[in-house]
Amino acid sequence: MTAFAFSREPLDPAALAAALADPAAGGFASFEGWVRDENEGRAVHRLDYEAFVELAEKEGERIVTEAAARFGVRGARCVHRLGELGLGELAVWVGVASGHRAEAFAACRYIIDEVKRRVPIWKKEHYADGDSGWVNCERCAGAVHGHDHGHALEPHHGRDQEPPAAFDYSRQQALPEVGAAGQRRLAAASVVVVGAGGLGCPVLAYLAGAGVGTLHVVDGDHVEASNLHRQPLFILADVGRPKAEAAAGRLAALNPQLRIEPHVARFDATNAAQLVALGDVIVDCSDNFRTKFLVNDAAVLAGKPAVLASVYQYEGQLQVARPDAGGSCLRCLWPDATRDGLVGNCAESGVLGPVPAVFGSLQAMEVLKLLLGLPGQLRDEVLLVDLLSLDQHRLRAPRCAECRDGRCARIGPLATQAPATPVEVSLPLVAATAQGYRIVDLREPQEAAREPIRGVDCIQWPLARLLDEGPARLDRETHYLLVCSRGIRSRAAAESLRAAGLERVFSLAGGLASQRAGRASSGSPP
Amino acid sequence: MTRLRLRYYALLREQAGRGEETVETAAPDAAALYDELAARHHFSLSRSQLKVAVNAEFADWSRPLADGDEVVFIPPVAGG
Repeated sequence: MTAFAFSREPLDPAALAAALADPAAGGFASFEGWVRDENEGRAVHRLDYEAFVELAEKEGERIVTEAAARFGVRGARCVHRLGELGLGELAVWVGVASGHRAEAFAACRYIIDEVKRRVPIWKKEHYADGDSGWVNCERCAGAVHGHDHGHALEPHHGRDQEPPAAFDYSRQQALPEVGAAGQRRLAAASVVVVGAGGLGCPVLAYLAGAGVGTLHVVDGDHVEASNLHRQPLFILADVGRPKAEAAAGRLAALNPQLRIEPHVARFDATNAAQLVALGDVIVDCSDNFRTKFLVNDAAVLAGKPAVLASVYQYEGQLQVARPDAGGSCLRCLWPDATRDGLVGNCAESGVLGPVPAVFGSLQAMEVLKLLLGLPGQLRDEVLLVDLLSLDQHRLRAPRCAECRDGRCARIGPLATQAPATPVEVSLPLVAATAQGYRIVDLREPQEAAREPIRGVDCIQWPLARLLDEGPARLDRETHYLLVCSRGIRSRAAAESLRAAGLERVFSLAGGLASQRAGRASSGSPP
Repeated sequence: MTRLRLRYYALLREQAGRGEETVETAAPDAAALYDELAARHHFSLSRSQLKVAVNAEFADWSRPLADGDEVVFIPPVAGG
């Protein structure tokens, strides 16, 4: 049974679903496309489907395989009818069986969208008035991925509708400190937002709503189903899409007057200076120390304000670096870049959705205060808020002795922050063991107990101990592969141990999550 | 003995099992206080990985403590 097939016979959804039965599957989702009686205002009474079968089968197969790998589902299949179909007949069927429903829905959606977009299938519509015409199904998919079209199923949208209303800033312009002049300042401004996650979503939504003329969205990740509870710019159908693109699409739809630039890239030493140069203000919405320090350093070197926030479970911190105004920066507080993994991130420690929403909103507020010249800007201070107790602290954090004339002696050239040799490898743990890596599981004991590594030998060495004792106790000739849940702690630990002179320490890219998703496919041998 | 009001954030809050407490201590400075608390609450972070603020101002670990001071320990956080 191929994952994608054509059929000249009517489809039997019950039999198709039964073929995907799997005792380990807890969720099954299917999509059916039916022949509808109308297309673009013309009554249709039957259809003929034709396909470039050899090419279409290959492409269809590729799509279903991609979906299975991307969403980690247990089984997926798509069958498309060919030949003549009457009204109401089943034209295309997609079914997905998986451990849980979220992946099943997402993979099902992905398959039908991509099949309609990429597989060469044509339909000849026979209209009630006796006329007929060929339609390439590809055009049904539209320019915006995820736009909701059934297969000759739903009415086409937008043809007879009024043009959308103009975006209206009257509620904020009514503030005497904003007014028309303030609105013009916002329209002329450019803001770079690093990270389109729990913090980035509210920052972007409120800055777009406020009419900040240019927004640069920097994020190299893809939307995951586990993001959705705290990242309201995304919907389930976005799962698997690059976050920068999905966010930019949503913001452009919110306010088409703005220039929204997606940058599908990790903010790193190679692009930091160019990206920071694009904005008047930089907003750090990243989820790791490495990026936070890099954003801070690049902003200080460029003499631009950076609005930084971090959250942890039910609390968070907010700081505004003001190298442009003789103010303190992140390094005044934390002189040495803190290593990732000492304290958990959202994936490891958990977070309630409104927590980053509160801090992202505070960041958006500080950006608007800066751009509009409003009073009360946070400067030389750190704001701590605990959203469980609702306690907040404003702690004085003055400029350190190393900052002078807009320069900080603690900040070296950005290029020095890039590791000399790649520390990340991406390959199945079984293959890594076969290639001679010793696997080191640096998760906390309770994490490792919850989800043990199976099938390979590994050393349990929780992160704090590894960083403490590793430099003295690890063998300099052995290749170690550090493993954590998502690859953030292991990467930071590998870099830290490399800095301590252990050249043969590597990090499993994407952590154990990448193994589950089946993405770890290639790697360089030790 | 000095009587101090303490606040914990993030990982320290979890490990202490509370967000705040009042203690009486003979610790002369912030460093000695943290060491005393680390032993009691089994904190996993070392001083070099933390910040301390006394009376709403970030302070050095050698900062002497006085009766009634409010001391806040802050680990770095990176979630986003």
